[in-house]
Amino acid sequence: MKRTTLILSFIFILTISLSMGVLAQTDTVKIGLSAPLTGDYAEYGENFQYSVQIAADEINAEGGIRGKEVEIVVRDSQGNPAQAAAIAQEFVNNQDIVAEIGDFTSTACLAAAPIYESAGMVQLSPTSSHPDFAPSGEYMFGIVGTQAVEGPFNVKELALNYLGLDSSAVIYINNDWGVATMENFVASAERNGLEITGTESFMEGETDYSAILTNLERDNPDGIYIAAMYQEASQIVREIDRMDWDVELFGPSSVFSMEFLKLAGEAGEGFVTNTIFYWEEDRAAVQNYVEEFEKRAGRRPNLHAAVAYDSMNILADAIERGGFDRSDIRDALAETGEYMGVTGKIKFTDAGDVVRDYLILKVVDNDWKVIE
Amino acid sequence: MFWIRQIINGITQGSIYALMAIGYSLIFGKLLLVTFAFGEMVVFGVFVSYYLYAIVGLNLFLAIIIALPISWGLGMLVDKICYEKFRDEPRFLMLITTIGFGIFLKSFTQLIFGTGYRSYPNFIEGKIIVGGVRITYIQIFIILTTLLLLYGLNLFFKKTKLGVGIIALSNDLDAAKLVGINVNKSIKFGHSLGVVLGVFGGMMMVSYYNAIGASMGPILGLKAFTVVVFGGITSLPGAIIGGFTLGILENLSVATFGSGYKDIVAFVILILILVLRPSGLLGKKIDLF
Repeated sequence: MKRTTLILSFIFILTISLSMGVLAQTDTVKIGLSAPLTGDYAEYGENFQYSVQIAADEINAEGGIRGKEVEIVVRDSQGNPAQAAAIAQEFVNNQDIVAEIGDFTSTACLAAAPIYESAGMVQLSPTSSHPDFAPSGEYMFGIVGTQAVEGPFNVKELALNYLGLDSSAVIYINNDWGVATMENFVASAERNGLEITGTESFMEGETDYSAILTNLERDNPDGIYIAAMYQEASQIVREIDRMDWDVELFGPSSVFSMEFLKLAGEAGEGFVTNTIFYWEEDRAAVQNYVEEFEKRAGRRPNLHAAVAYDSMNILADAIERGGFDRSDIRDALAETGEYMGVTGKIKFTDAGDVVRDYLILKVVDNDWKVIE
Repeated sequence: MFWIRQIINGITQGSIYALMAIGYSLIFGKLLLVTFAFGEMVVFGVFVSYYLYAIVGLNLFLAIIIALPISWGLGMLVDKICYEKFRDEPRFLMLITTIGFGIFLKSFTQLIFGTGYRSYPNFIEGKIIVGGVRITYIQIFIILTTLLLLYGLNLFFKKTKLGVGIIALSNDLDAAKLVGINVNKSIKFGHSLGVVLGVFGGMMMVSYYNAIGASMGPILGLKAFTVVVFGGITSLPGAIIGGFTLGILENLSVATFGSGYKDIVAFVILILILVLRPSGLLGKKIDLF
């Protein structure tokens, strides 16, 4: 009798602990996040992490996805394409991870894409705007919009309509994104009659822009299109200010950031760009997100943070509809109707990227203002 | 006009290279300490002054004056960790220890001071216009500081016991020990002095560009290394001439061939000099490894 009790209680404990193990395993749904948490783009990587975690926490507070709690598995790519590929390998081999968000740079996204594609796992990049990224595979999705659309917008709406320029110079960062941004801008400029007086590139990590700017100034363009991240853009406008060069400043949405205002100071006054996200937009979803982000990060979210938040939510929406199978998630994501995120309407094209509506922004009195 | 302005741009950039190269040349050329954590140390020291100025709210000059002894301490620490145990070991060990420490220090800087760029204030505002060419006061200040430091260091190596000791140990380590030079103390002193000079140069540089970021370190170190090899590893004036030459050449190559060729032209010339004059423009032949 005593022995039977012992065996029974042993079996009981075993059953409980096993079922707890099974429960623990099935209780969560894991999403991989590949982001540059250290290195030159660490700030963007941090923004990704904050935003994706905010979205996950909100989803979990509402009961998770199909009753499962979302767990984010974060890996640091250092902004390094080789590292992004290694992370991709780890994620696809981990059967618990159902889909991936990341990476930040187009270069890192493109390097990891073939691995996700051949393993059949969704790679949803919040920020890759390289026109080749989403079309590179069935499982590749980008939600920020591509330079193939943003470039012509910047030529027609910013340069020609708003600023009324006849000619422009282009300065761009020499990486996949910078080259694509420059090429799409220049191609559209030629079609629309905006004269390009010169293009100059610089390498990542450059500190001195005086030589290339002096080259561009020689042709006396009306405006200068600065295809760079906000750190470099702020140093470029400072140098233009030091040169006393009177020229209209404009650029792609990568420049839109609170940090740009701090770093550029007076030199950034009048800078014109576009955005799909604006922190003063009067929608509850936007205001809740901005408030929560400021609470956690101690700074306002920029566009690149906001698209990461939308990425997590749109992915959760797809898993809710499609289930936990990797390829079902892909199909559900592709079939997403018109999703309203904090960055506006998101509807995937057949290739897996999004055509965006852009707002025009301008630096007025050291603050970003929307131009109606 | 265009060319004069490009040469002025080159001189400014060159003066910043030269300023960075003085500290580097002291550590690498005189003490023969291989270092690949130099840029990271400089950025850390500059960040300390930024922190004291922008967060604690001290006067900028006070912040700089306090940051320099802290940089000195960092120099001591790096010597303790990366060099002291390995004085008699092959020099490539220092290569490994400093690369490792550099990676640590860059991440550490990002942890404490944040990952983004910060806006660093101007020491001196204002500019003069000479014949249509703009020259800012800070450009002039940087060049004067470079020359002053060169002069000061020259005196230090000629007139002070410590300085003469450092020259002696760089010429012949064993003989220096025999004549009673405290090698350990001299190396520690020289290394920290090099770090402080680098940090001081770094402050001037970020004040000119108005931006400081943790990720700036490695490229600074690499440029300083290039300039020192270019000008002659053992020679301080060589490092300064190397700095100016590289700055002007880079800018002229951008002016002539466009921005894509900036580094190509500079490094092709570097390779040519090393082939024709392996010890650099003004350097003496030394056995590093």
